[in-house]
Amino acid sequence: MKDSSNNRHALVISKDYPQANFTWILSLALAALFWWNSFPTKTDELNPFVFALFCAYMLTSIFQLFITRKMKKDLLNTGGIHKTTRRLGYFQLASLLTGNIFAAAFAFNLINKRKTPEYTFAVYTLLTQLAVIAISSVNLFKPYVSDTFLIAMASLLVIALFHLVALILTVHYVREYTAPRWMSILAVVLMATAVTGNLFALLLGWSLFMKSRRFDSSRLLKWNVMWEKITRNSTAVLGMFFILLMLTISITSRFTFDYALAVENNYSAILQAPSIVYPFGTDNFGRDVFSRIVFGARISLLVGFASTILPGLIGGFLGAIAGYYSNRIDNWIMRLLDILYSIPGILLAIAIIAAFGANTVNLIIALSVGGIPTYARTMRANVLMVSNYDFVDSAKALGASDFSILFKQVVPNSLAPMIVKSTLTIGGAVIATSSLSYLGLGVEPHIPEWGNILKVGSTYLESNSYLAIFPGLAIILLVLSFNFLGDGLRDALDPKLD
Amino acid sequence: MAYTITSLLQKSYKEAQGKTVVQVLLVLAGLPVHLVIYFIYLIRKKDQSRDTVLKDIALELSKEQLSDQWHADYVDQLSRKRTFFQENVSDKELHEVAEKLVEERKKEEITRRTVDYFNQNGIQRTTYSVYFQSLLERRHFLLCTLLPGVLMYAILLLISNPFLTYIAERLIQSVLVIVGVAILVFTILYISPFDPASNILGESATQEQIAAFNQLHGLDLPYWQQLLNALKGIATFDLGSSFAGNEDVATSIANKFPVTLTIALFSVIMAVVIAIPVGILSATRPNSFLDYSFMFIALIGLSIPNFWQGLIFILNFSIKLNWLPATYSPSNHLSMIMPIVVLGTALTASIARMMRSSLLEIIHEDYIITARAKGLSKSQMLWKHAVGNAMIPVITVIGLLFGGMLGGAAVTEKVFNIRGIGSYIVDKQFIPDIPAIMGGVVYIAITISLVNLLIDILYAFLDPRIRSKINQS
Repeated sequence: MKDSSNNRHALVISKDYPQANFTWILSLALAALFWWNSFPTKTDELNPFVFALFCAYMLTSIFQLFITRKMKKDLLNTGGIHKTTRRLGYFQLASLLTGNIFAAAFAFNLINKRKTPEYTFAVYTLLTQLAVIAISSVNLFKPYVSDTFLIAMASLLVIALFHLVALILTVHYVREYTAPRWMSILAVVLMATAVTGNLFALLLGWSLFMKSRRFDSSRLLKWNVMWEKITRNSTAVLGMFFILLMLTISITSRFTFDYALAVENNYSAILQAPSIVYPFGTDNFGRDVFSRIVFGARISLLVGFASTILPGLIGGFLGAIAGYYSNRIDNWIMRLLDILYSIPGILLAIAIIAAFGANTVNLIIALSVGGIPTYARTMRANVLMVSNYDFVDSAKALGASDFSILFKQVVPNSLAPMIVKSTLTIGGAVIATSSLSYLGLGVEPHIPEWGNILKVGSTYLESNSYLAIFPGLAIILLVLSFNFLGDGLRDALDPKLD
Repeated sequence: MAYTITSLLQKSYKEAQGKTVVQVLLVLAGLPVHLVIYFIYLIRKKDQSRDTVLKDIALELSKEQLSDQWHADYVDQLSRKRTFFQENVSDKELHEVAEKLVEERKKEEITRRTVDYFNQNGIQRTTYSVYFQSLLERRHFLLCTLLPGVLMYAILLLISNPFLTYIAERLIQSVLVIVGVAILVFTILYISPFDPASNILGESATQEQIAAFNQLHGLDLPYWQQLLNALKGIATFDLGSSFAGNEDVATSIANKFPVTLTIALFSVIMAVVIAIPVGILSATRPNSFLDYSFMFIALIGLSIPNFWQGLIFILNFSIKLNWLPATYSPSNHLSMIMPIVVLGTALTASIARMMRSSLLEIIHEDYIITARAKGLSKSQMLWKHAVGNAMIPVITVIGLLFGGMLGGAAVTEKVFNIRGIGSYIVDKQFIPDIPAIMGGVVYIAITISLVNLLIDILYAFLDPRIRSKINQS
């Protein structure tokens, strides 16, 4: 009796089991989506390509359900997952061919019992690289490709191979706190491959570097614990994966995608439905919507990050000063910021853009100004809390000046909530960017930006609805990823939950 | 009754003495009363017992012949100083300085002894504020000065009650914030590099036409004059006419506000009705399938841009299924449904998440364990102790998000072609039509401030923690 209750507990605390459930449900939902779309409403013919996708996802989902059942049985009987069940993960890896990232991520997780943060990094490094190659290879069906396409694709493939090697080496040699010394070379090369935007490689490289160079064990412990907490939350890692994928795409698209296809008019291909040449169709000027969405990621990420970092710095600085210095300064700063706080962000942005005109720089400024008070409040609350700690008193006793105490001791220790806050607000900034562009108040209309693409799409809603659907999906996915990551970071960094 | 009022006034006047701001306010509010009373006080002060006491003490001092002794001491000190620094000072000057020092010391000694004397005999030193306090005790004084001093008495009554003080402070704060918002928005529009005159009149406009336009709308005035006019306009609901179309801005805003407000209000109601039960269900079954699904849906709701959701709704419910009209018309109530749902989605999602986390936090508090330990059933515990407390932060969040919703209404209004305040501002920004944008933004900010003010005041009455905090301060 006691044994079975123990095993029930094992089921509850297992990290793999909830992810298994999550994966089959999501695969099933995607399969349903493809089923729905395999019969276009106008013609009653079956769309063979979408139907094939449906079959593949359905199969994955059924197989995933089978694995999940088996895991549950193993956990209830023995309290652990059986080796043969873990072997099934190798078969599930095949779902990678259909682009089912969720199933693939689960399979990688299932195969390896002993999961170091490096293993997770290595898996996602490889997945990101493969996804970038898959997305870029869509260009193969285009009438022409950019001049650098072949070289870029070749180097991406080489890097992907290298990442695969890194993954295998990580599985074999990296332990919880140690890694062989020769791995520091591998680590440096890995960090260098992060120039493609694949920051998972940077994380993996840095992590390996710390372990192979035998860094201080308390530092390693902290690093391990933090990343274990974050990677335990599978949705947070998937969110991070999608964000970094977008980042990598927006960097590599410079070489693998042809900008002309996204911005130059092509009157021989106006308003074409999605096909293999134009995966998301073409718009009213014959521009390829897929390329436009890919290039739009760049703007969304740029504006999102800029309009988060800028108010984060200004608001953080003001909040730190308000929280640390006298009541009078505090009152002045916070009352003045109350004025900014009482105007809704979008309205303030509209007013600023009305005054200075619609372009990307003004958009960033407009969105930043509205964000200052939120960050100031967050920072102030943390500084108020942290400046009561003992280490601040001891710094004072050592004769440090107020300014150096504030920025060397207090602020670094109150950054965690700021990071969480900013991750959660980047999503809002991305939405605000596209909303303002949709109103004609954001990015200039000729630049491919998701809001601009949607604006065109909204006029063809009745006849060519795909023009409005795909950019919207891109926005939702990116914002959802930021929200998932933010939630995961909050759970991992929030001291209240410790 | 009169007695209690006088004592109340007296008490709050006494308490006000520590706070400079309040004191200044009191003097300003009751200026006529204070002037007269201060005059009377000065006259009456002359024949107060204090003067006689002072004289007595001075006499006593001269009898003790302390001044000669002090004089000798000072001369000694000064001459040492002179020799040490090798200064060139004559004896006569030295004596004069010593004399001065003695006089100063005498005065100090007298005041010190007087204070001692009064303290010993338990007599309060009569100052103006003490004198005024003693007057406040008298009923007929109150009746006489009621008319000129009514403002001051109102302030006194106000600060005698911590709740009223809190409300008044909050009100003043809101007014200051609103003035700040008006100044900020006006300044942003003022420093705009665009020229409305040439935008409206076109490229071919002559210099005279532009000058006439600027004069008509007061754009040739200096900054301060324009700012003052704008503030006055906002306070009196008279913002003049818009640059383009020559319509009265205040009237157009008044015409467009109700639609926006109605839709926003219904959205809030929808959000509360859906989100609170969802949040409670999720929090009572944490980490269950239901919880995960609800929170997943909520996160998706947070991540959908309003305009895209609107477009997808139009595509599905208007174009494909033909259930609801695609654009808003005031006569058709069905056309309200989609805008309300679209505008309320993000709010619903946030409230549901907030409710869940707030309730989860409360459920783990000690007093809930106590409630369970004393034998309450789970539902009793939930409804009597947990939900009410969990609602407190949620209502604050609703108030804050309401503002964001009014701001975001512009996008939804554009999608559904609603002629609300949001789309009005967006339409006017291309010129830029300064009075229209300014009026729209500031009146929305005022609405938001009022809503938040109302919520804060409600809290002061409902939340016992805030109540006790107010009473303590």
